[in-house]
Amino acid sequence: MSEAATLERQTTELVFELQQGRVFFALDEDLYPRDAIFGAAYLFVDRCWVFLTRPADGQVGVRLRAKDPSADEATLTALAGEFANELLNQVVRIRVAESTAQIREFYMAKAFFADQAQSSIDALLAELDAEELAEDDLAIEVPWEDPDA
Amino acid sequence: MSTHTLTLPHRVVQTDHLGFFRYTDIGHGKVVLTNDAGEWSILPEATFRAFLAGQMGTDHPDYAPMAAKGFFRDALDLDDMAAKIRRKRFYAAQGPHLHVMITTLRCNQSCRYCHASREDMTKSDVDMSPEVVRHAVDMAFCSTSPYICFEYTGGEPTANMEAIQLAVAYANHKKKTSPKTVDHSVVTNMSFMNEEVAEWLMDHEVLVCTSLDGPKDLHDWNRGWQKREYNFPRGVPMAGSSAYDQVLRWMAYFNRRYIERGKDPDLWHIDALMTTTRRSLPRAREIVDLYVELGLRSLKIRPLNPYGFATKTWRQIGYTMEEYLAFYEEVLDYIIELNLQGVEIQEGTAAIFLQKMMTPFDPNYVDIRSPIGSGTGQVAYNFDGRIFPSDEGRMLAGMGSDFVQIGTLGETSYAEMIGHPTVRSLVMSSYLDALPACHSCFGAPYCGVRPINNFMESGDLFAQRPNTPKCAEHMGIMRLLFDRLAQDVEGKVEAIFRRWTIQRPRDDA
Ligand code: SF4
Repeated sequence: MSEAATLERQTTELVFELQQGRVFFALDEDLYPRDAIFGAAYLFVDRCWVFLTRPADGQVGVRLRAKDPSADEATLTALAGEFANELLNQVVRIRVAESTAQIREFYMAKAFFADQAQSSIDALLAELDAEELAEDDLAIEVPWEDPDA
Repeated sequence: MSTHTLTLPHRVVQTDHLGFFRYTDIGHGKVVLTNDAGEWSILPEATFRAFLAGQMGTDHPDYAPMAAKGFFRDALDLDDMAAKIRRKRFYAAQGPHLHVMITTLRCNQSCRYCHASREDMTKSDVDMSPEVVRHAVDMAFCSTSPYICFEYTGGEPTANMEAIQLAVAYANHKKKTSPKTVDHSVVTNMSFMNEEVAEWLMDHEVLVCTSLDGPKDLHDWNRGWQKREYNFPRGVPMAGSSAYDQVLRWMAYFNRRYIERGKDPDLWHIDALMTTTRRSLPRAREIVDLYVELGLRSLKIRPLNPYGFATKTWRQIGYTMEEYLAFYEEVLDYIIELNLQGVEIQEGTAAIFLQKMMTPFDPNYVDIRSPIGSGTGQVAYNFDGRIFPSDEGRMLAGMGSDFVQIGTLGETSYAEMIGHPTVRSLVMSSYLDALPACHSCFGAPYCGVRPINNFMESGDLFAQRPNTPKCAEHMGIMRLLFDRLAQDVEGKVEAIFRRWTIQRPRDDA
């Protein structure tokens, strides 16, 4: 059996309730970090009224009410499926973001703030700029934050 | 109440071998991954799962290209990543390059979708004075950007040609002692054009951009004249006259004269902007055909800015974002089809996104970048000397929101203007890495949000992303582009898209 097929067989189950034009999930924060729940819920604010509750310690309740009042059971079930999918995606995103936070901080800082280890093109451009701005009559190089600028 | 159970494929994630990435499912069983440097990969869903689970070996055909792009942690070159990001976001270290000058509020047209507070042609107190012109040029030259572009708009900016002529002359004078590269462009409805003005604009290399919404009946319906004799163009009979005819006449004139002057027509030609109204929707192909027939190389489809219309007007001209995106898709696919037959034309908004996606650079298009260009990439100078972060800001001020004024020419220093709390707020509310939804959206390396637009709609600079039309529009366009690339087995569409990303500077000509 291929690796992809092995992965395909692994599944997650998620329970939801349908109640009078609404979908309700009670989500365990141990399984679904709060940011993942908020992140998923946020993406539904165009189609749904979203209510978040605290049904029990360590749980977040997500109630989605379709803005379209004619939404039937099939529509709401599809909505629940979409939300569940998005929730799982958000969990992946958060795990990737958390595990790469320091790496990103490092390369972002290097990109924007540090003395650059420049690529050859950047080095060349910088050299040309330096030549052009050698006489900086207009104080182009003075940072705009400088009160004396 | 009923209880149901969903069974979903579980995503196994081995984070320790992954670089940072964002992703989305683009349909047809494909997933697109993007990262901070704007690199992307399109993977079949099964390969994506193997990637997540750490089961994509170095012998996998996608491994090497993905590693080079920075998707695998063990192969990540941090210096290279930083250099790529720095190159992409070069604008963050510059300053406003686009300086919009509203030379007058006078206009003789009455476009159905116009938000600008236009005035009759007889008004004389809505023109930019010589003093304000000089202050505006001085301010623009204070910008820390090595490149500046003056964009003359209105009203109908050529109704105050004196202001344009003074600005160009004064800027040319200042340029003698400045290392900056300076461009000028005018956005005109052509109704006040005459040979003298046209020749002057060409002599001074002022780029000319006009509006062309489609075939004659559509253009003239969208862009009617103000119905008073004194609002009428010089020498044009009011009865039966057509705005479309004026545009076509002067486009032909300019394009002919550029060639006669020995200019490369690829670089020197009239550019046109197209605004979509309800009546445009069923006419996608006709609009493209017209642009091709006129020899235009770029058609930039623009949706209406949907705020502030009376319900009755909106019913006549408006549409939903879904309708707009369906129209956009039809235009894009038709343009691709024509390109496959050897016709050279591009869709302008797609070209902006493709430059971000397919080149190491960013076109620094002020409305689609992070942070938004308002205040840090562009500034708008109103005819009366008030300064706004963008032309949109001027419109918002016209609706009564004064906070959006970031200074007054002649009183405010460059540092005060650029450091204004409103400019800072606009930066904060448009920095995608820190915005809900955007921070994890696959489109974040290419996209841009519009805080002033948001404020007009919801009274909140941040707004809720899924409720903003710009998010739906940009998301829709990016998905379309990735989808067309994903389905492009022979690489023909990619070759076309790559052509659209090529920009030759005009001083090559
Ligand atoms: S505005 Fe929308 S499409 Fe653009 S990055 Fe944010 S969430 Fe994505």
